[in-house]
Amino acid sequence: MPPFPVVLRFIRCPAFVTIRNVAWEERGGYRYYYRSVRRGARVVKEYVGTGPVAEATAQLDEENRRKRDEEAKAWEEERRRMEALEAPIEELCDAAETLARAALLAAGYRQHNRGEWRMRRGDRQP
Amino acid sequence: MATDSRDPEKRQHESPTLERAAVLKELKALIVRAQDGDEGAVPRLREILRARPELAREFVDPAVQTERSMIETYAGGDGLAVRETLPHTLEAFRAKLEGESPSPLEQLLVERIAATWLQLHYFETIYAQNMDKLTIPQSEFHQKRIDRAHRRHLSAVKTLAQIRKMGPAVQINIAEKQINTAG
Repeated sequence: MPPFPVVLRFIRCPAFVTIRNVAWEERGGYRYYYRSVRRGARVVKEYVGTGPVAEATAQLDEENRRKRDEEAKAWEEERRRMEALEAPIEELCDAAETLARAALLAAGYRQHNRGEWRMRRGDRQP
Repeated sequence: MATDSRDPEKRQHESPTLERAAVLKELKALIVRAQDGDEGAVPRLREILRARPELAREFVDPAVQTERSMIETYAGGDGLAVRETLPHTLEAFRAKLEGESPSPLEQLLVERIAATWLQLHYFETIYAQNMDKLTIPQSEFHQKRIDRAHRRHLSAVKTLAQIRKMGPAVQINIAEKQINTAG
């Protein structure tokens, strides 16, 4: 038996608390379960408990962490897929913009202060 | 600034994609020089555009391919209706913007408008469908992406309007046979 009765605190973490890390500590032949949680700017270590209920809590935390990792991985994949969709459109825009600018310059126009295109004096095409 | 000064004819032995990329790179460098007031850059620009009157048209096919793959993505696995109707919607959209006999440059610019319009709609749809599942950072990511797509679309529309406003002279330089824009 542990040297003191099983104490369980923060078994259900509030939504604003992010569990950063979980750890078992062993002292005097007993294992004690701790969590590192972020509270605002600080990360604090919180004692959760010991015994079978702490084991179950640790398992639940592990499951939640795995779910979060899977969600993060899925999001990363989605982000990459979206970026891949943007790339060819950007290439098309780049080519079209370059050709349009080249055509305007070749026709005797120049861009005034990165805005309006105006005909250069004495450069009108026949 | 370094430019690729080889003859366009010599470059035609390279693969079309590489060759187009090389021409674009040279055009970009010349544009920067011309904007900085280098008088020698404009004659070279004219020379390239005269040697390659169909250059703009060469970019249209890859653009259509991009559009098709976007429709496939948009339709997903079983979006038969989207796959069937969207190409017709885009075709009507393009026909309306192109007018009766568009120049190659106009065709490319219209293709760009269609592609950016499609992309913007796709991103907005994805966002609307997933809005309730997204975290705040994910939502911000989507909104930024929509903003970028919106800017690209507006810029595409503006460039076409600019080319049309400038009138036939611009068309003559990009494709000598075409003198067909509204002046």
